[in-house]
Amino acid sequence: MSVFEGLRFRRVSSPIHRLDPRVKFFYVCVLFVITIMFGGTINNPELLPLIVLFFIQIPFVLAAGVKREWARSMRGAAFLVAFIFAFNFIFRYIYGNYESFALLLEYSFAMALRFLVLVESFSIFFLTTSPDHLGLALEQTHVPYEFCFAFTTAVRFVPVLAEEAQTIMDAQKARGLELERGNFIKRIKNYIPLLIPLIVNAIRRSLELAEAMESRAWGATEKRTNLYVLTLKNSDYILVVLSVLMLILAVYVRLLPPIPPLTVLLHI
Amino acid sequence: MAVIETKGLTYTYPSGTKRALEDVSITIERGEFVVLTGPSGCGKTTLCRCFNGLVPHFYGGKLEGNVLVTGLNVHEHSIYELARHVGLVFQNPENQLFALSVEKDVAFGLENLGVPRDEMKKRVDWALQTTDIEDLRERAPHELSGGQQQRVAIASVLAMQPNVMVLDEPTSFLDPLGAQRIFEVINELNKNLGITVVLVEHRLDLAARYADHVIIMDEGRVMLDGKPREIFGLEKTRLMGIGIPKSTRLYQVLEKSGVHLSKVPITSEEATQILKEVLNRD
Ligand SMILES: Nc1ncnc2c1ncn2[C@@H]1O[C@H](COP(=O)(O)OP(=O)(O)O)[C@@H](O)[C@H]1O
Ligand SMILES: [Mg+2]
Repeated sequence: MSVFEGLRFRRVSSPIHRLDPRVKFFYVCVLFVITIMFGGTINNPELLPLIVLFFIQIPFVLAAGVKREWARSMRGAAFLVAFIFAFNFIFRYIYGNYESFALLLEYSFAMALRFLVLVESFSIFFLTTSPDHLGLALEQTHVPYEFCFAFTTAVRFVPVLAEEAQTIMDAQKARGLELERGNFIKRIKNYIPLLIPLIVNAIRRSLELAEAMESRAWGATEKRTNLYVLTLKNSDYILVVLSVLMLILAVYVRLLPPIPPLTVLLHI
Repeated sequence: MAVIETKGLTYTYPSGTKRALEDVSITIERGEFVVLTGPSGCGKTTLCRCFNGLVPHFYGGKLEGNVLVTGLNVHEHSIYELARHVGLVFQNPENQLFALSVEKDVAFGLENLGVPRDEMKKRVDWALQTTDIEDLRERAPHELSGGQQQRVAIASVLAMQPNVMVLDEPTSFLDPLGAQRIFEVINELNKNLGITVVLVEHRLDLAARYADHVIIMDEGRVMLDGKPREIFGLEKTRLMGIGIPKSTRLYQVLEKSGVHLSKVPITSEEATQILKEVLNRD
């Protein structure tokens, strides 16, 4: 159940984890905007700013102590990154209005890296934000409470359902179910004996949950209170200022003439 | 003063064919520790659901007769109003915990009630202390054992400071030691805080010693209702398939073979005590 393994949350603490999720999200959005501002055109690809954007995020990863997880998500993105590279390269090659082969390569590379930078910033956000923090952030940004509750409860039941799926799988295998048998369609069909008990159990579970929620005064008042409240700390203000400065700098650089491609800078 | 009073309670689930409850009339006094037992499917859970309005408000169907819980007529009050007075703890501890940390779960009911944060923090701390799970405060539910989860469930009900706590087979997913621990926690709530307890339980060997009122149901009806010693001492109780405490069973066997004991023992300690007296006498 490695798929579920990835969703299983761990409680870690680091300066980055302790940042307000709303502020972190703002930072990710700023980075998103900056990233799509650069990239250039086929005959003037801007690889340099993207490389900078990729590396300025590394200190975050190190400070948060999520190197391994980060590396895993980068590897996870590798296939798509390679695809974007190949796609750009092949189509631009066929289209054929490029000035030099080196520029074509750099352009394709820049497009792939742009995607990787986006994945990087989102993965830093999700790797360093615990689901309860995220739920809380949703609540405090006035997302209806029902949605926030559904979100945290879903996360809470991921490990439970994963375990249940494993138990059902073992039970069905013991009765002779062979999952890795037959062609593609057959293999999908093999999963039906797993899905049905899983779904039936989930429905029963949800009824019991509803009963327990009702018994704890669900819906008693419109003005729910909250045990935790997110408050902005100094470190949060620093990140906000940093993000804004980055945005201003990026806009300023954008207003200057386009950044020359690496090929030109390095006289290749 | 009666905390729970039912009169002629009769109920059929909307999807059901036969009556789940039939003419149930019971009275539970303030501060009592009630053990409710009976064979599977006899309507114990259904009766518990009547105490906080899940029946009929959540399950639908028509509830005939009257239920007064802490003076409130269940027909006229919603589940969330009743939740302030009656706390329900269910069988499966896993499905009563929704939050990602113990602390947050214990606060859930208070958040729903809109209790101010300072007050909420105090009550959460108090509930965690009382159930002796302060060290689990930050843990996620899936990191806890069944017994710990059930104690969290009890704490989260306790935090709402109910007058009555109804526990529906809270130990059926636990090992004997975990069960013992739960019974002790419940007993402390009853004896120290004066919370009225209604405990649905099959493990009478462990639970009977705490009871001062026993109700036995069968097929939706109340069959026996009274003091533990009287009820467990009756031959009828055993014949209904109730797993009476072993010490009480010993009493019955001795009685049949002509050995009269001074009183009906519930626990093995009591049995030892009484037997010692008998043996010394001869
Ligand atoms: N949600 C439900 N819908 C329909 N019938 C139910 C439901 N829950 C219980 N029953 C029926 O009501 C009767 C009493 O069940 P229950 O109160 O769960 O008994 P117990 O808790 O003593 O085992 C049973 O015949 C059962 O089939
Ligand atoms: Mg039951």
